[in-house]
Amino acid sequence: MADEREIGGRESEEVCPAPGRREAIQALAGGLAATVAVAAATALSAPPTEPAPRNGRGIQYGMVIDVRRCIGCHACTVACKSEFDVPVGENRSWVEYVEKGEYPYVGRSFLPRLCNHCSIPPCVYVCPTNATYKRPQDGAVVVDVGLCIGCKYCIQACPYEARFLNPITGAADKCDFCLHRVSKGVAPACVSTCVGGARIFGDVSDPESEISKLIASERVTVLRGEMGTLPNVYYIAADHTDSIDARRPEVRQVEVDNHRRRKHWR
Amino acid sequence: MSGELYWGLPVIGYLFLAGVGAGAVTVSSYVLLRGGGGRFAGAHFSLARYGALLGPFPVMLGTGMIIFELGRWDRALNLFKLINLSPMSIGSWLLLLFMTITVLYGATFLPPGAHRGDRLEGARRGLAWVCMPLGIGVAVYTGVMLGAMPSRPFWNSPILALLFLVSSLSTGIATIILGRALVHRKGADRAAEKQFHESGYLLTVSDVMLIGLELMVIFLFLMFAHLTVGGVKEAVSIILPGGRMAAMFWIWVVLVGLLLPALLEMVYVVPPLFYHRSFAAPRSVEVVVPVSVLIGGFMLRYVVVVAGQITGPVGI
Repeated sequence: MADEREIGGRESEEVCPAPGRREAIQALAGGLAATVAVAAATALSAPPTEPAPRNGRGIQYGMVIDVRRCIGCHACTVACKSEFDVPVGENRSWVEYVEKGEYPYVGRSFLPRLCNHCSIPPCVYVCPTNATYKRPQDGAVVVDVGLCIGCKYCIQACPYEARFLNPITGAADKCDFCLHRVSKGVAPACVSTCVGGARIFGDVSDPESEISKLIASERVTVLRGEMGTLPNVYYIAADHTDSIDARRPEVRQVEVDNHRRRKHWR
Repeated sequence: MSGELYWGLPVIGYLFLAGVGAGAVTVSSYVLLRGGGGRFAGAHFSLARYGALLGPFPVMLGTGMIIFELGRWDRALNLFKLINLSPMSIGSWLLLLFMTITVLYGATFLPPGAHRGDRLEGARRGLAWVCMPLGIGVAVYTGVMLGAMPSRPFWNSPILALLFLVSSLSTGIATIILGRALVHRKGADRAAEKQFHESGYLLTVSDVMLIGLELMVIFLFLMFAHLTVGGVKEAVSIILPGGRMAAMFWIWVVLVGLLLPALLEMVYVVPPLFYHRSFAAPRSVEVVVPVSVLIGGFMLRYVVVVAGQITGPVGI
């Protein structure tokens, strides 16, 4: 696990243009210039010994969440909030609770949530200023606060409610896979803090990575696969019981508490 | 169901006002270019003048509202650093062009004694040819913007943009009717009075047809959403009988905004159409009809924008 983090870290550090530079380039000549600059930076800074991207693909960071190991303790929620000083009332990562059944046949399951860093991200396609974009070097979907105008279009477009408007910056905010940590070879805050080891982070396009082996060998699901967004956060043993089920008359006693904003269904 | 309204009254107001202004300018330039000459020439020029002078203001007011809504107005400038395929990006550029061109277009009507064939006619017609597609673009893009998101099943319909376009044209005509009714003073000149009513007939007949088309589009929107299964069906049930926003939709949008003005207009349109009577609607009707059309246009935006957000992403 440490290996692939370090590989990812090196790439991220070298290829990622500083926010200021990116903004200046955008200001001068728009998206085309930025693309050219990123391509040029890749060509210039890639060490000659670096192997070609595996399977013709670059790095795509992803996460596997093994729900069997989750105890619903919210340590990831708290670690994320303190890591980014997320304003009260909002979360970049959170844990949803699903309770169902009637005594004595009852069940409770947890669903840790974060941005899915989709391979086809609807938020990116609607952003009018290219402030939110999928990083070509590692596949993380991030927000450039300097370009974001706070129009909230991406918040509307996300099928996972993974985004919110940061009341302090006035810009869209979301999970960024802790790129500041990953670039130093450290795991994201939620992964480091998880007491049960339920969160596994890595490069899903590297077939040798721990995360790829897990995805290959376990029965994994993604959230709302029917949306066609190709999420890069996979779940093992997730209970997909949701608010739609809670409203079904034939299924009794389902309560979903997403701990994001105060909402209850019964 | 998620219940958070990220887009509230400023955005709803903008969608309505931009539609009104874009509709008025589109109708104005269409009448100017295609109104023809003959005995209608003067009346058509007058109609075009109302649309050209009234249209730019609601668009500017609405644009001001959404820029204010962003929190920091200067950030809106980031929209003009680039253009991409986001409907909002294309819409922003359309809006910028629209506001620039319509101000120039309106200015060609301003000189005292402006009339058809005066020395500004060339510029006026040239600008009108640009205004018409821009107006349609501004009216349509708002619907495309909402419709572009699979995460919002209520909005994710290709017919929403057409609904907004038809509603824009209808509310644009209503603005011209209202402006005429408020400004017009009864003169002693019988010919001028007859011409005023004849051009009123043109507006009213067009509005009846647009309202009919709008009812048809609403029917198709509801029917196709209701006949599917899953998120879209569930989302549209909010405005179908029994839904939380049903009363608001059927009373304010359909009854007040469409059926009432259409019936009132029919009372004055049918006799000239079938019995060769001359059209003459009293001023009270020419105020009530456009006001109810405008209320309906606003409530349509209100219901659509709110319903789309409170029926928002469902499932996991």
